[in-house]
Amino acid sequence: MSNDEDSAPGLASEQSRTTPMTALSEAEPKTRAGVGIQLSKTRLAKPVGALGAFYAMALDTLVSIPRKPFALQEFLHQAWFVARVSFLPTLMLAFPFDVLLVFTFNLVLIEIGAGDFSGAGAAWATIQEVGPVVTVLVISGAGATAICADLGARKIREELDALEVLGINPIQALVVPRVLACCVVATLLSALVMVVGLAGCFAFSVYVQNVTPGAFIGGMPLIVDGTKLAVSFAKAAIFGLTAGLIGCFKGISVGGGPAGVGNAVNETVVLAFVALFSLNVVITAVGFKLELASI
Amino acid sequence: MSTAQVSQHPFGRLRRAGRGFITPLKRIGEQAQFYGLTLRSIADLMVHYKGELVRQIAIMSLGTGALAVIGGTVGVICFMTLSLGADVGVSGYNQFSTVGVEALVGFASSYFNVRFVGPVVTAIALAATLGAGATAQLGSMRISEEIDALEVMGIRSIAYLNGSRVVAGVIVVVPLYCLGLMAAFIATQVVTVMLYGQSSGVYNHYFSTFLNPSDIMWSIFQVVAMVVVIMLIHTYYGYNATGGPAGVGEAVGRAVRASLITTLFVVLFLSLAIYGQSGNFHLSD
Repeated sequence: MSNDEDSAPGLASEQSRTTPMTALSEAEPKTRAGVGIQLSKTRLAKPVGALGAFYAMALDTLVSIPRKPFALQEFLHQAWFVARVSFLPTLMLAFPFDVLLVFTFNLVLIEIGAGDFSGAGAAWATIQEVGPVVTVLVISGAGATAICADLGARKIREELDALEVLGINPIQALVVPRVLACCVVATLLSALVMVVGLAGCFAFSVYVQNVTPGAFIGGMPLIVDGTKLAVSFAKAAIFGLTAGLIGCFKGISVGGGPAGVGNAVNETVVLAFVALFSLNVVITAVGFKLELASI
Repeated sequence: MSTAQVSQHPFGRLRRAGRGFITPLKRIGEQAQFYGLTLRSIADLMVHYKGELVRQIAIMSLGTGALAVIGGTVGVICFMTLSLGADVGVSGYNQFSTVGVEALVGFASSYFNVRFVGPVVTAIALAATLGAGATAQLGSMRISEEIDALEVMGIRSIAYLNGSRVVAGVIVVVPLYCLGLMAAFIATQVVTVMLYGQSSGVYNHYFSTFLNPSDIMWSIFQVVAMVVVIMLIHTYYGYNATGGPAGVGEAVGRAVRASLITTLFVVLFLSLAIYGQSGNFHLSD
């Protein structure tokens, strides 16, 4: 784990490149207090610097999406790759997640004698909550980690530097197609999660918890409408974009040799999950506001 | 030449076809055998490597490196349960208010947070932090041949590395989960009472009426079962990583996928076993 210390100065130095003189002049007094201040400063500067570098790379990526030599072949290749590694885990994860939620939900509904509404609950839970969240977990757990490992290995073998020497912008050639691939595949996968989830919910509710099949189907469109579905797809697209950006950022900022790649992948998973969970709350609240406005 | 080969392996075509089915089965068998070894090594750990166990507990609870900056495992779990607890508040209030029973959000908090949000989110957070961290650490030790060095030094590497992480995970997870559950409760309450302006007395009444202590005990049991599964899977993938730096990264991804799927099935079947068809849930009494 000691390699985090190696990777951070690189980021911090990129951030402080604009003001090297002030940093130097402040470092002059070599007293103990001065050293203490310096230490606390680098501690604080580390996460802030990393955050700044992430924003810089995200902006770079978004700006270079419409730029001309679009790496179409790389995009198709990456989209196929992300879809291939995510397909089976998505199916496997969507099923228990949905069934667990609908089992908990149906217990309440059956207790208050509203078992016929379990279709409404299942559709709401699947489309609004589980669909995007499962997609996130799979895209960041399977797609973003693989992207990070791939780019990280290229970084420590100095292939990215070689690209720059050849006059090829790594952001445009490597990052943009990967980020777009994550975004597109996440949107498509979330549809798959919804279908599989609803099928699982139907089978479980009807065959295990004895809900009437006709009532289940009839109840499905009660709460969920077009707006909710659109918000859910938008969620999945934004999640995919974020996961792709985090994976690429951690990959191209790997430092500290072979062990650094493993740590970077670990950080990718943690940061992606944290970012996506916080985005989830914000987008859900915005979605409710949108619905209120449209009524 | 070719006739000799055929006579050596009768039913060669059949064998080749069968190999496709047998290889995954063999891999499952090897994994199961490794998990057995890890669990058996805990006895060795308790006798010989108590110091390493204490060190792992310290590292796991607060984290090192970049994880420590955002509050370690504690911070990640609390943050994730906080955000989904807030989601329970937002969605619950909005859905309940369409049928005029928004007073029952307190019930939603004590029911869904304990039975669904707590265990599932903790599983996800543990796989991401403790699990992926262990895979990355063990994987980089494996590819730089540090594990072989441990064996040469006469240290039982499975007990020292894998066993210690499994036991430390079990010890660390109980207080972690309690903190996470509290964060979920607080988030739902803050959203409902402060954002949507529900009376705190109404919220607290329905919250404490439906908060079932035995449900909380069962959910702690679920989380302990999950952490054993997560640490076993992640240490297996780390211990057996191959293929250089990129191989470690791929092992982390594969381990996260495998453990997420396995733990969700574990939670599902434990929920079905514990709460059962009737659900151990009584609204009217």
